[in-house]
Amino acid sequence: MHFSKFIPLAVASAMAFGAAASAWAESAAERAVNEAKKYAGTTITIVWEAGLQSLDPLNFSGPKWKELTGIDVKVVEVSTAEMFTKIMQDYRSGASAYDALNVIPAWMPDLAQAGALEVLDPYVDKYGFRDELQNIAPTYRDNQMMVDGKIYGFPDDGDVFLMYYRKDIFGDANLQAEYKAQTGNDLKVPTTWADFDSVGQFLTDKLAPNTYGAAFFRQPPYTMYMFQERFRVEGGKFFDADTMKATINSDIGVQVLTAMRDENKFMPPGVETFGFVENLAAFLQGQTAMTISWPPYGRWAAGYGTDEAVLSWVPKSTIAGKVGYALPPGGHPELAAGFALSVSSTSKNKDAAYLFIQWLNSEDVSLQRVQLPYALRDPFRNSHFTSPEYLAKWPDAGAYLAALQEGSKTGLLDLSLLQTDKYEEVLRQAISKLWAGDDPKAILDTAAAEWDAITAKIGVDKQKAVYGSWAAKSGAYPKM
Amino acid sequence: MTDTATFDGNGHRALAGRQPDWSFRYWIIAPAILLMLAIGLFPLIYALIVSFQGLTMLDDDTSFQGFANYAQLFKDLRLWQSLAHTLLITVIALPVELVLGLAMAYLFLERLPGRQLFVSLLVMPCVISPIVAGATWRLMFDNRYGPINQILGWFAGHPVPALWTVNPKLVYPAIVFCEIWQWTPFMFLILLAALSNVDKSQLEAAEIDGAGFWRVFRRIVLPAIWPVMAVALLIRGLDLVRIFDIIWALTSGGPGTMTETISIYTYVQGFRQFEVSYTAAMAFLVIVILTVIVIAVIRRTGLVK
Amino acid sequence: MTALARHQPPLLRRAGVRLGLRYAVAVALTAIFVFPVYWLFIISFKTPDEIFAFPPVWYPESLQLANYAVLFKDGDAVTVGNSLILAGVSTVIAMVLGTMGAYSLVRFRTGGEHLAVWIISQRMMPPIAIVFPIFLLYVFLGWVDTYQGLIILYTAFSLPYVIWMMRGYIEDIPIELEESALVDGCTRWQVLWKVVFPMARSGLFATAVFTFVFAWNDFLFALVLTRTEVTTYTVQVTHYFGGQSNFWAKIAAMSVLGTVPVFFTVATLQRYLVRSISMGAVKG
Repeated sequence: MHFSKFIPLAVASAMAFGAAASAWAESAAERAVNEAKKYAGTTITIVWEAGLQSLDPLNFSGPKWKELTGIDVKVVEVSTAEMFTKIMQDYRSGASAYDALNVIPAWMPDLAQAGALEVLDPYVDKYGFRDELQNIAPTYRDNQMMVDGKIYGFPDDGDVFLMYYRKDIFGDANLQAEYKAQTGNDLKVPTTWADFDSVGQFLTDKLAPNTYGAAFFRQPPYTMYMFQERFRVEGGKFFDADTMKATINSDIGVQVLTAMRDENKFMPPGVETFGFVENLAAFLQGQTAMTISWPPYGRWAAGYGTDEAVLSWVPKSTIAGKVGYALPPGGHPELAAGFALSVSSTSKNKDAAYLFIQWLNSEDVSLQRVQLPYALRDPFRNSHFTSPEYLAKWPDAGAYLAALQEGSKTGLLDLSLLQTDKYEEVLRQAISKLWAGDDPKAILDTAAAEWDAITAKIGVDKQKAVYGSWAAKSGAYPKM
Repeated sequence: MTDTATFDGNGHRALAGRQPDWSFRYWIIAPAILLMLAIGLFPLIYALIVSFQGLTMLDDDTSFQGFANYAQLFKDLRLWQSLAHTLLITVIALPVELVLGLAMAYLFLERLPGRQLFVSLLVMPCVISPIVAGATWRLMFDNRYGPINQILGWFAGHPVPALWTVNPKLVYPAIVFCEIWQWTPFMFLILLAALSNVDKSQLEAAEIDGAGFWRVFRRIVLPAIWPVMAVALLIRGLDLVRIFDIIWALTSGGPGTMTETISIYTYVQGFRQFEVSYTAAMAFLVIVILTVIVIAVIRRTGLVK
Repeated sequence: MTALARHQPPLLRRAGVRLGLRYAVAVALTAIFVFPVYWLFIISFKTPDEIFAFPPVWYPESLQLANYAVLFKDGDAVTVGNSLILAGVSTVIAMVLGTMGAYSLVRFRTGGEHLAVWIISQRMMPPIAIVFPIFLLYVFLGWVDTYQGLIILYTAFSLPYVIWMMRGYIEDIPIELEESALVDGCTRWQVLWKVVFPMARSGLFATAVFTFVFAWNDFLFALVLTRTEVTTYTVQVTHYFGGQSNFWAKIAAMSVLGTVPVFFTVATLQRYLVRSISMGAVKG
């Protein structure tokens, strides 16, 4: 008698049993609610980015959670610039005032090292969240969730840089003919930076001063992300993995900075001072044919949600219906910033806090949250990109979601090391020096030297280990 | 029992009186001192101790590091540059604020229809939160959306694409201008109050003697307003050393670290990057430098008799 | 013409010319100082397209009052109230305690140079360096995110300013006035309240205005020491500057809400300043 005969039967019945079990199983959201009911009457405090972002827990998810479980949600709004500091200060002082946190993934190594974040694996297993975690879009799932193989946060925001362009301008027959005559190439959305420079210059020559080829938010904090993206897309590496010496001053780095500076010539005058809103206004008012930014631009350009009172500060879109969506040149968009939901290690109510974030991040609830008209949370789960509800929001929503999904497959992760802010600060200063007219090579040489000094202070071996595990992630460097 | 009167060089004297008042003088200042001690003492001691330790974002190491942090200060070029930037701004803005404030105080000294309105309006720049003021100036200096370049364009007859927050030649003028705009009203109001207290009988006597404006100013007005003026200068000077919001809103210390003042550098190091011990050492260095300057100023000008 | 005015260059002695010239200069100066404030305030009445319009819009098509309604509905206006309470109460306490302290320093030379220098040194400490230890202290006392915590903090930090400023103004008061009051039978306390405080009225006013302003403008301590209960207007306003948003209309409307009460207070209290100027020869 061979047991092997029983194996197919055993497997089949196990599968049948499993299928039956999952047919009866609750969703992660429901499970979270059910488990949380025993904490009814308590309050959990969550730190959230102030302004538009916190309208989600204030107006939607907080009240809903209270209704379902009886747990009060207290939202502590903090400006992005101060979030890291407040979290660290609370942790270091032993005040234990926060239960759940919003954390930018680039901060995770620092916070995890300091011990401020709770390791979430035990809770994920206890409350059965592994499956739904798997369904987060790969780039976010594989890059923004873990440090050293342990889960510290749930990626909750599909921040990615998309290119937005004016379909009508690119589709104009006259312009197409002229461009073809001039360069021999077709006028289409650029897929390389060289194309971008060519197209941008051409459009400005033809259409300025009413419309310029492109504009970007050139203020240092934003341009820093764009530099990180473009540098890697052109083949650059931040460090030499063996020696941990900074290599941002390679020829590629210099070429990127030079190109960025030269591009300003065909952009609206004063583009060096453009921030998020100035760039948005310029695009929505029809002054630029191309731009790169976070996903909200795409929704607001289409007029989605801009009737909401809270979005009344968004300039009226004059280009609804004329906006196309694509990946930025190079095809590997930066997953700039982003947010993850975490639990504070000093929380006095860890299970309740955890259950809240599981619920927020679950398939059902997150789908509703990313569709809120005033939401700044962008689609980040596979199901978001194909949701029929979302697709029906505006005529081009399909193209929009498709582009976001493409981005989520090929996106590049922000540099994330120990004391990332110090490295980022050097880059920000480098950008500001670029706009001030300094020489790109000199700027990058200084920046590389400063990076080396920071690495030396932190400890080369320590940083090398962290960089090594960052560089091993799928979104660290594009597969060339 | 009465106090014996004591005189100082300027002819001022301590208050004479009928009763022993040794307790009065202490009672009336005690609450103030106690409050300042209660809030001020612990942080000072904490910062002092911490400056000798090795606390950073990652390191909770409270072991004694000796003078390592202080030694680091002297090698830190960026620190000394930030002090130079701070000095530059202070040395330019302070005299301008004084002279302009004094002139304005003279302007409003006599009756003027609607003076109440004027003075209330003129105080407005200080009342707007400095953060908001900085952001407003940032918008006003904007090349596209702000009125400054628009106005310049009217005068010049052609568009003036001056990038005030980015161009290295323009950032300091922009910052100094905003600072003077915001705090000249401070000097103005204080000097107005001081000028209003000048002894009228002395002025009348001088007028009868036929003295000219500058003579009267130097001999009568200036000595009279000097106590208040000197303190205003001292306070304003100390505040200028701590200048932060306007610069942060306009340039964030940029381009590069060109407009980084000591406050911005301390903020970036201590607040954003959690170099707790190093920041504490920096703070003490600043206090020592300022104390030396203040004591020198006080002795020279006889502010404390 | 006041005695002071007589000592001007000859042309300017003619009353009409003087007044006209002074008025013109006053208007010009006020226009320059107030223009940025105007620019900010008018934003609260603009539509977003007018805020980001090229060329810039100096006066909007119509006044949008919706921005103000939103602030009240959302409860943001409460933060202006919080700031007013914190700044107002701490100013009153600081003015009383500080002027008393200044009197002690001036008339009795209490503590000599050392005490005076120690007091002013409180203003030399960069706030960044002490905000965290104060946070620790407050965590220990349970004063984080409370009214009393910030009021006591602002009072303590205002005292050096009040003491030093009032020293200057008190020195201006002729000592004979106080001595004659003592001779007349007043106690020291009565001298303080009946002679010194009234005589120093204009100085009290000028000092109080800026004591209030400094507490009102504080950002760093309010940021670290509050969470949700006692959010101040300065912290609330920074919430409107997002990485991906910029509620300029709210920023402007909040600033108006916050500035207008102060404006009216300064305007009404100004009579203390004005009266003492035009009073003429009261002293001596």
